[in-house]
Amino acid sequence: MLERGIEEKTYVLNLGPQHPSTHGVLRVELEMEGEFITKADPDIGYGHRGHEHMAENRTYPQFLPNMGRVDYLHALAYNQGYCMAVEKLIGLEVPERGEFVRVITAELNRITSHLLWVGAYLLDLGAFTPFLYCFDDRENALDLLDYLTGSRLTYCFYRFGGVPVDIDDDFTEGCRKFIQRLRSRWVDYDNLVTKNVIFIHRTRDVGLITQEQCIRYGLTGPMVRGSGLPFDIRRSEPYSVYPRFDFEIPIGERGDVMDRYLVRLREMEQSLRIIEQALDKIPNGPIMAEKVPKRIKPAAGEVYMAVESARGEFGCYIVSEGNPKPYRIKLRVPSFGNLSILPEIAVDTLVADLVAILGSIDVVVPEIDR
Amino acid sequence: MIVGLIAVIGLVSVNALFLIWMERKVSAHMQLRPGPMEVGWHGAIQTIADALKLMGKELITPRDVDRPVFLLAPIVVFLPVLLSFLVIPFSQTLIIRDMNVGVLLILAFASLTVLAILMAGWASNNKYSVFGSIRSVAQNVAYEIPLLITLMSIIIMVGSFSLADIVNAQSKYWFVLVQPVAFILYITCATAETNRAPFDLPEAESELVAGFHTEYTGMRFALFFLAEYTNMFIVAAIATVFFLGGWQGPFLPGIAWFLLKVYFVIFLIMWFRWTFPRVRFDQLITFAWKILIPLAFANLIITAFIMKL
Amino acid sequence: MLRDNIHKALAPLNLEQVESGDYAKTGYHLEITAAPEQIPEVAKTMLSLGCFLESLTGLHYPEHFTLVYHFNNFGELCRTAVHVKVPLDQEAPTISHIYPGANWYEREAYDLYGVRFTDHPDLRRILLPFEADFHPLLKKFEASSADA
Repeated sequence: MLERGIEEKTYVLNLGPQHPSTHGVLRVELEMEGEFITKADPDIGYGHRGHEHMAENRTYPQFLPNMGRVDYLHALAYNQGYCMAVEKLIGLEVPERGEFVRVITAELNRITSHLLWVGAYLLDLGAFTPFLYCFDDRENALDLLDYLTGSRLTYCFYRFGGVPVDIDDDFTEGCRKFIQRLRSRWVDYDNLVTKNVIFIHRTRDVGLITQEQCIRYGLTGPMVRGSGLPFDIRRSEPYSVYPRFDFEIPIGERGDVMDRYLVRLREMEQSLRIIEQALDKIPNGPIMAEKVPKRIKPAAGEVYMAVESARGEFGCYIVSEGNPKPYRIKLRVPSFGNLSILPEIAVDTLVADLVAILGSIDVVVPEIDR
Repeated sequence: MIVGLIAVIGLVSVNALFLIWMERKVSAHMQLRPGPMEVGWHGAIQTIADALKLMGKELITPRDVDRPVFLLAPIVVFLPVLLSFLVIPFSQTLIIRDMNVGVLLILAFASLTVLAILMAGWASNNKYSVFGSIRSVAQNVAYEIPLLITLMSIIIMVGSFSLADIVNAQSKYWFVLVQPVAFILYITCATAETNRAPFDLPEAESELVAGFHTEYTGMRFALFFLAEYTNMFIVAAIATVFFLGGWQGPFLPGIAWFLLKVYFVIFLIMWFRWTFPRVRFDQLITFAWKILIPLAFANLIITAFIMKL
Repeated sequence: MLRDNIHKALAPLNLEQVESGDYAKTGYHLEITAAPEQIPEVAKTMLSLGCFLESLTGLHYPEHFTLVYHFNNFGELCRTAVHVKVPLDQEAPTISHIYPGANWYEREAYDLYGVRFTDHPDLRRILLPFEADFHPLLKKFEASSADA
């Protein structure tokens, strides 16, 4: 607990744990002097469900549905990270078409996650309308993913060795239509939001993060790219079939909230490019590996698999002792490190700025709490 | 006078009903959705349903509030706004009491709402409410000044405080044509005075839960709500009277034109709410003191100059 | 190559084991074993080479805890895994003065395992409620309805 301000000049205010804006169950204890914040202390753990403990008591396939619930907004990236980690452990190779389907669905999921972030972030800032525009766009992507996987949010679609359901012509056509429609919307977003004077005033030069802070705090994802470091796991540590696609890594210049917003906006366009190229280049063939063992019993050893989720680097660290149940699974979630910088950058800001900064970190609290 | 008062109360209720429905429909269509459709034709009596619901809610008074102030605040916020209707000219003949200090009366009563907000926030014994009311007081005080000054520019053109005189002075041309800057300034300040977005920090949902009316339930909350919408009507009415020619217009009776213009101004104010994000508090105050007030003063001085010539 | 630079920089510290990892199998470029007292030095060296702390994991074995530090680099990919064996009742040194991001990771290790870190500025529970009196990821921990 923070200590009460002894001089009686400061007082303690709680932001949360229930928010009218869609952050999740996060409490930030603020020590304030008037409207300025002198100390900010995030209090997490309201949603701790013990995923890592569950992992030690379940077999590898039984733990697969958990991954969709850790970060429900970009569940397919977590699916991918976990499946690839186990596939590395047991030495299983996924056929090409399976990898392409994984990439297409994961990128679609990234777009839905970013769209929701844009809407919720602007809701935090007080603009009510973009939220509904974003959700309208998001519905189309969710319909596509629902058609293929059966879920709209907490996906459990990938299996060890590939994917269970193949994409068909309806899906491909729907994807292309979705790409076209979303591309025509960027103009709207630019005019309504990016060029809006009030929005610029609220986000320019707010919440500056230097590259040095990125290294010291272990930040990943759009936080780092907003500060000018072109670090994207899909480019620096390529996995799956990402090396075959031509896409850019958008970076910001100053590391303020506006830059992070622009990075995420541009990333959506790059995801559209990846999906387009994937749909063009997808080969025919099997979607599941031929010889998937009935009982997944990896040899003793450990593996660390990193994938790029919408929020940053998701690392799946598995330690196996040769049993059907893992000895330890550590889920290295990006929001955990990203949120730990809040106490440092929130000092001497206004509450309204804190809301803007907290939103720009793009926290999904269930993944922090696991 | 009594008949006038009863008519005013009737008008206020109907107006509030209509405005709330209009707000929900306008916001819905701007957000690509239909809005209330179930109750009545296109949701027309949705507001009555909501009002019934609010009346049925329990009136909770938290234990540690300052009781007399807490209970008085909703009344103090609503009554002055109601009384402002006394001097508004709905048409050439429909005016309850044409006082020769009409404008002053309305502006004075508008300031009383700030007092009510302060009372509500303080009495609630709740950090968020106090925060909301502090912000509201600072905002209202800061934005009243350019409001008054822009209205002064019109008043010196007409030479009278009486609202009927101001409408009559626009028989040749509407004042918005000669004072466009004043019109824009006035609309900005009016939006801030009524605590509407983008200046709705006192009620900022994502930051302060609900600001100064967090602790109010049921009918008391409804009174705050009612006061906000009636206040919107009043400021729109003043905009119409001062800039858009009041009840003047061809073919239709005076009152029809008046209401049309008032609701057009209200539509503008609603449009702002659903388009812009919220302004940060220090930017809000800076905007008022460093930009609006000098502009308003400049406008006044130029007007005085031109009048002298 | 960053891997060789790290190798060279860590040579004077006399660590127990520094060898290249099999990236295709484990995802590591460099595997290091160190003693608990050497952790701050290792962390300082990694910071001077521009690496960031990717993750800090705890593992519970019958005789000791193993803390696994993962480091990576924004510029050139080189994942370094540092395995540190900490005896069950001993404390480990903190690196939160070198890597402020480690603050929360060490709190998490304390919360889930009970590993204490000397000189940590604010060692309190992070995920579980403050008044909890158990460490859930210990192998002998059995959740029961009495804990609810």
